[in-house]
Amino acid sequence: MTDDLIKADKLVKKYGDLTAVDGISFAIEPGICFGFLGPNGAGKTTTVKMIHCVSPVTSGTLTVFGLPANVDNRKIKSITGVIPQENYLDEDLTVDQNLLLFADVFGIKKAEAKKRIAELLSFVELEKKANSKINALSTGMKRRLTIAKALINQPKLIIADEPTTGLDPQARHLIWQRLRSVKRQGTTMVLTTQYMEEAEQLCDRVAIMYEGKILKEGTPPELIAELIGNEVIEIQIPAEEDKPIIEKLSGNDFQFERVGDSLYLYCRDGRAVIQKVMEMNLPRVIHRPASLEDVFLKLTGRNLKE
Amino acid sequence: MNNLSSRALFIVKRNMWSYKDFVVPTILVSLGEPLFYLVAMGLGLGAYMGAFGGKPYLNFLVPGLITTSAMLSSSFECLYGTFVRMIHEKMFDEYLATPISAEDIVAGEIIWAVFRGLISGLLMLFVSMILGVYPASLFGYILIFVLMATVSFLFSSLSMIVTSFAPNFDFFNYYTELFLTPMFFFAGVFFPLDKMPFFFKLATQLLPLTHAVAISRAIYSGIYAPLLIVRFLILLAVGIVCFFLALYFMKRRLIK
Repeated sequence: MTDDLIKADKLVKKYGDLTAVDGISFAIEPGICFGFLGPNGAGKTTTVKMIHCVSPVTSGTLTVFGLPANVDNRKIKSITGVIPQENYLDEDLTVDQNLLLFADVFGIKKAEAKKRIAELLSFVELEKKANSKINALSTGMKRRLTIAKALINQPKLIIADEPTTGLDPQARHLIWQRLRSVKRQGTTMVLTTQYMEEAEQLCDRVAIMYEGKILKEGTPPELIAELIGNEVIEIQIPAEEDKPIIEKLSGNDFQFERVGDSLYLYCRDGRAVIQKVMEMNLPRVIHRPASLEDVFLKLTGRNLKE
Repeated sequence: MNNLSSRALFIVKRNMWSYKDFVVPTILVSLGEPLFYLVAMGLGLGAYMGAFGGKPYLNFLVPGLITTSAMLSSSFECLYGTFVRMIHEKMFDEYLATPISAEDIVAGEIIWAVFRGLISGLLMLFVSMILGVYPASLFGYILIFVLMATVSFLFSSLSMIVTSFAPNFDFFNYYTELFLTPMFFFAGVFFPLDKMPFFFKLATQLLPLTHAVAISRAIYSGIYAPLLIVRFLILLAVGIVCFFLALYFMKRRLIK
């Protein structure tokens, strides 16, 4: 694609001696949802902060809407909506006032602002809370209000930095639905998340980040097929048993990995393998489809790294 | 500086909206300290001091306390007020992601602090008028207003520089206790500086408040020395320099 909405080439971000983003390149087409996945400290948030122009690029190039992304670029900011990791809401004001004030930032006329606010509040199901103060809202409601705020300027690009971290399942699903419906209207979305389920729910393409680098990029099914296969067999068994099991399975197409108390078998077609595993009559066997989580853990390591 | 725009006024508006609920308490607080000085020293102590340059001590005290009031209110707004909005409420992070620039935010905060300084100064003016102390002429009201605005601009900008380096609230104590408070005592608010030793007098000329108090006193006496225009230009120049330094240092802190 030549008309990429966002294009990064050898992008680097340093904070003093710390390299937060270490020479990453990627391109994001218009209309898709692109996800940056990674553990805490992988450089996801830093990357999106450079995209929405609140953090300057140390080196490399980054263009958004064909414009160079830099801190003073009001043009990019005026057509971008940001759902930050933390909700920035004015506790002293009501829901309605928060949105009205924010509309003013983008120079939206009052009559138009009122119209949009009514639409957005019903979109995020907060219409009954229009006159409530912020501290009377639940965590999930605050998050939904933050999404309404991010949409007030009818952005062409949405940045969602960990949109559902810390929310209960109901609130999370509601937010996923809303983000999907925004995307259906053609808005490009850049998402960061540490939840693989969220990435699978929302993202057309994902980049797996670790220690400031992109380890792998592609569509979730591509990555799963390439790195894991279709199925995973998890066997909880002491490590001494690995060798005889692997020997018995030889001749089949699979990869294996030992992590902690479990042996993982990754297969393209698991039928033959699972049949043999069943014959071994092992106590704790889980057979499931491969997921993005397996890709993620395989790439970044299953062990806790701190 | 091309990043500075009229969007700064948005920040003023935003602060105004969230201030509405706190008007009464903040007015009481900003009126408090200088008012107590006015009553305790002006009326209380003044009763035992006889004539002070031909007039009651209260008349000597008022011009200095009016400028001090504007100074303290605008300073505290850019110290504690700005710090709370920046660190605790994360307000600046919110607006940095919009077409409002870092410069707009800081300028807006300073304009807001000037407004707060003016409110406090005008309240003191009003209270002192009730106590029977007035500027020498009608024109003096305009001059005192301009002076309060200039003093507020200077001290809010200066305080903003301090805030740009502040890791926490305690840091402000150095500035308030070691700079603002001594200035309050030695800038000629409570006693004339004429009879102080030469080097002391010289040192007080380095304090911005000294110039402000001298101008204020002239507005109340109606005797304008030509040197006063120099004093005013010093206040204005220091204010402008501090303003741009505040923009620079705050941007450095906000944009990482």
